[in-house]
Amino acid sequence: MKTLKAIALIAIVPGAGAASMLVGATPLTLAQILSQLGHPHEQSVLHAIVWQLRLPRVCIAATVGASLAIGGAMLQGMLRNPLVDPYLTGVSAAAAAAIAVAVVAGAAAATLPPIGFVAGLGAALLVAALARRGSGIDSNRLILAGVSLSALCAAIVTLVIVRAQSYDYAAAVLSWLAGSMAGRGWHDLAATSPYLALGALLALASVGPLNALRIGELRARAVGLDVDRAQWTILASASLLAAASVALAGLVGFVGLIVPHLTRRVVGSDARVLLPGCAAIGAALCMVADAVCRRIVAPAELPIGVLLAIIGVPAFLYLYLRPQVPAARVVA
Amino acid sequence: MIGLRDVSLRVDGRLLLRAIDAQIESGEFVALIGPNGVGKTTLLRAISGLHAYAGTILVDGAAGAELPPLARARRVAFVTGDEVLLDALRVADVVSIGRFPHHRWWQWQARPEDERAIQQALRAVRMEALSERFFATLSAGERQRVWIALGLAQETPILLLDEPTSHLDVRVAHEILELLRTLAREGKTIVCALHDLNEAAAYADRIALLGEGTLLTVAPPAQLLNGRLIERVYGIAMERVRLPGGGLRVFAGPRGAIRG
Repeated sequence: MKTLKAIALIAIVPGAGAASMLVGATPLTLAQILSQLGHPHEQSVLHAIVWQLRLPRVCIAATVGASLAIGGAMLQGMLRNPLVDPYLTGVSAAAAAAIAVAVVAGAAAATLPPIGFVAGLGAALLVAALARRGSGIDSNRLILAGVSLSALCAAIVTLVIVRAQSYDYAAAVLSWLAGSMAGRGWHDLAATSPYLALGALLALASVGPLNALRIGELRARAVGLDVDRAQWTILASASLLAAASVALAGLVGFVGLIVPHLTRRVVGSDARVLLPGCAAIGAALCMVADAVCRRIVAPAELPIGVLLAIIGVPAFLYLYLRPQVPAARVVA
Repeated sequence: MIGLRDVSLRVDGRLLLRAIDAQIESGEFVALIGPNGVGKTTLLRAISGLHAYAGTILVDGAAGAELPPLARARRVAFVTGDEVLLDALRVADVVSIGRFPHHRWWQWQARPEDERAIQQALRAVRMEALSERFFATLSAGERQRVWIALGLAQETPILLLDEPTSHLDVRVAHEILELLRTLAREGKTIVCALHDLNEAAAYADRIALLGEGTLLTVAPPAQLLNGRLIERVYGIAMERVRLPGGGLRVFAGPRGAIRG
């Protein structure tokens, strides 16, 4: 049954992808899109729209959604805390602060994603170092260090925006804070793919440990889990995925927090189906949300983080807070 | 088999237990008793590799400290009744985690031998019928049986249990102890921390008494309960009753029996 649900969840990905590919300034039919996808080396305007504009954007949306959802599910499972999201380790806040400073310092737009990535990963390392206890990680220290560092970085961002000499600077920083996939292409995906691949591989290695951790840290140790190693692996995976996502799309909030909850409601907490399920729902959600962002105020674009929060939060609250079986309410 | 050679344990830097020497053979059921806070749980955790110690602990012939976590968990199962918040896990899901040490990280699917071990463990604690129930909906006694099934699913030669009969009614408690007795007869080494001296007397081959910061003795029930050592350690006078079948039972003395 769990496997069937997982297969059904994964099936929504092509559906959401197709819907997202249909949305854009130039009206295209599904047949036209499929025809172009079948001829990757054709030279035409239609081909450029499909291959150079829409497909990379849809792929980036799917990657960001899947990465954030997987990262959130892993950290929630590891810390046994439902309020945790993949930005817990300060990845997003540090990336935003670094980018804010870089914008004001006059850095080229093309350098912002790598700056965000490096700063995000650096913050994750710093938070992990602060949370270290013996050879492992102290969950409470990790949360406290992450929250504190994020608050510090948020203050830096606010200071930069307040003190910005021009509106353009503030607007550039704010566009990162709100998250967007506008202007991203294959080269961005290619640049982050090694980190995404490493993050995904570490996530695969974390499936068994995450399942063992569902019965608590002590019992997980008793059944032979090297908890310290599992924590470092999960933290590295979630940080890589989150930092790569920030580099690709800025700060896309909400996905990493609520998609794991929604997926857990559908397939349960078994990481073997939870992680693929999160990837599917996260990818589908971001693809559809990005399409709506492109469409709703065309030719301008709505920031995806704003849209996800406005529509997603009430829907999530309704789904999560309605009466349910007591056992299903308890979260890892 | 478990061997303890000059083992000492510290908690937060404080010396809790020192100079522990003991040998527990395969097929033996040893009850671990002692006052609250004496170090029963800590000693069991040390044997399980979950608490640091000085000295030597041999588990099934190998030095416990040198065993990697997975290899150690294939030799020793540790059953504890501490409650943790579980997400919506079913009984069978919980017990299946006992198979963790038998899998490599890429082996996600349960194999026939895993299914067999899980079913056998559920059958042993009479939880087969409740295997699809959510753990959170179980009674305290049923949860205790699930934790024991989790340990059994590990299929280890050594089974350590921390107060497995707490929260259980008298019948279920005796069923669990009977199960442990059977497992010992089948060759497992059982060490079980207990508070009820008479449960220990009724089921254990030997009783290990912790007190005064060390392991004071490991002796057959009749010998231990008959002596004055147990009164000294617990600090209370005890009445003894000889059963018609020859067994001995002890009861805390009347009011005013508390010493020291």
